[in-house]
Amino acid sequence: MIERNKPVLLARINKMKQVTDVEEYQKYNGFSGLLEAIKMEKERILDELDLAHLRGRGGAAFPLGKKWRHLYGAKGDTKYIVCNADEGEPGTFKDKALLEQDPLSVIEGMVIAGYLFSAKAGYIYIRGEYRRIQKIFQEALDNAEKAGFLGENIVGIQGFNYTITIISGAGAYVCGENSALLNSIEGKTGRPRVKPPHLADVGLYLQPTLVNNVESFASIPVILREGGQAYRDLGTEDGGGTKLICLSGHVKNRGLYEVNLGTPLQEILYSEEYGGGTATGRPLKFIHFGGQSGPIGAVENLDDCIYSYEGLWDNDLSIGSGAIVVMDDQVSIVDYLVNVAAFFAHESCGKCTPCRLGTTRILELLTKFNTQTAVSGDLERLRKMLTHVTNLSACGLGQSVANPMRSGLTYFPKEFEAGIREAVAPIKGGFW
Amino acid sequence: MSSLSLSEKEAIILENDSDPRRILNMLIAIQYASEEGFIDEETAKLVADRLHLSEARVYEILSFYAILKTEPQAKYVLKICNSTPCLFTGGEMLSEVLEMILEVPADQPTPDGLFMYHSIPCIGACDQGPVIKIKDTVFGELTEAKVYQLIDDLKCGCYQEL
Ligand code: SF4
Ligand code: FES
Repeated sequence: MIERNKPVLLARINKMKQVTDVEEYQKYNGFSGLLEAIKMEKERILDELDLAHLRGRGGAAFPLGKKWRHLYGAKGDTKYIVCNADEGEPGTFKDKALLEQDPLSVIEGMVIAGYLFSAKAGYIYIRGEYRRIQKIFQEALDNAEKAGFLGENIVGIQGFNYTITIISGAGAYVCGENSALLNSIEGKTGRPRVKPPHLADVGLYLQPTLVNNVESFASIPVILREGGQAYRDLGTEDGGGTKLICLSGHVKNRGLYEVNLGTPLQEILYSEEYGGGTATGRPLKFIHFGGQSGPIGAVENLDDCIYSYEGLWDNDLSIGSGAIVVMDDQVSIVDYLVNVAAFFAHESCGKCTPCRLGTTRILELLTKFNTQTAVSGDLERLRKMLTHVTNLSACGLGQSVANPMRSGLTYFPKEFEAGIREAVAPIKGGFW
Repeated sequence: MSSLSLSEKEAIILENDSDPRRILNMLIAIQYASEEGFIDEETAKLVADRLHLSEARVYEILSFYAILKTEPQAKYVLKICNSTPCLFTGGEMLSEVLEMILEVPADQPTPDGLFMYHSIPCIGACDQGPVIKIKDTVFGELTEAKVYQLIDDLKCGCYQEL
């Protein structure tokens, strides 16, 4: 039974003595999601996923049930399963926890996908900075194979043959974009592809491909074990389940937590159980949600905000990856955004001009505001540049760069105005 | 040049089934195992040859991915996280302090070849920032004093495994 306010995804963590050990994993409900799944009609699996209303945990928040149904209906005999474990989103460290401390849960989710789509091959793309975790994960894969949960005739089903291969990233943020990630798996440089076509139709090696995030895959066994409705009841109408959140910045208790979707934001920020309030003694000023391209909210506007998909959308915010970066009132929003812009200027893959040049222009303009050397007209220039980059960039990276800057302009306009150098004014009055 | 013998490199390639999809796994493993922490020409040629890729393809990959290096690195490469969660919880001073101690700018080895530092984006230890990563080891909750101590400790050989 799963209950509210109890860990679901983190339930096994710190309990298992050997995290890669299949028997240990099974002691705590491990592989029972898969064993339930193989008893069901495949359509029924999809129904449960729809009912659960799990939104993709990588950041895009797309309903997972719909994505899986799309792939299920896609034409093609060879379908690939890919797990995006390229966690490189600043302020995010939740996939790392699952990969490192409960790798078999991710594997179980991927095996269920393999079963549903009759896939032969799954890939997990783990970022290069997580090299040690790649070793742990490989051990978990080997153990799962020995125990009959991977390899040939899995769980005794004739012809259910499925393997998972680890592919290492090597330090390119853009590879977190799903199509870039597929290019990288194919051994090419990890630049995004032009979409459409949808990856569910034309993905890895041009075959229909499912790409989901680590946390999404780890949630699948829970849904099939407990039922879609029970899972949905953990969250809210617009998004079921629990969410892993990563608190960082100026809160006292930085770290990884699991919350029910629908938890009040104030509780997350201030209760001792979670953030514990300010770490610096200064009031908290703003929160950057969901990663570098996520929107920013002013703490003073968020008294009644609920941490759920719809709760954040109502405030022009979004959950994204689950990152919650909190800054106190000594941080200037402009200074903060300069560093966000520098990140994007550095990580733009350079494939399309609006993003390559635009991110650099945004950085230059913000730097002017930050050094009080902006001139009147720069505000308008910045706004235009943000619109260009959003509308003309080819992939999600470029298209979302402007989000935090726009929030900054909306909630803290004075700080931008303070960066504009006063015009040289003529002396008023008198005749010369 | 590189401290790995030909057969050691070949072993790493075979461990990865000479599978071109796992070229990054191989290159990183070879680079981490080599003394000077980079992929030299000979190695790039070897990988291209064993994987049936052109050398140009291998170099394209080497230049695209930030972790991979084509120049010799210092013995200890200190990677400073410069993403906002770390930067605004004390990370801003890290590169200044390192420049002061080591007396070289970012990306340039100290004359004795022992140290080098540069900034990288988030490494997923944001709840322990500010952080520095050396190979697979992360040093967290750093203060100025701790950075001085870290350099001293490294000089004394306290971290043999790095
Ligand atoms: S938007 Fe930016 S990251 Fe995306 S393809 Fe274009 S240049 Fe590359
Ligand atoms: S921001 Fe520094 S490790 Fe994530």
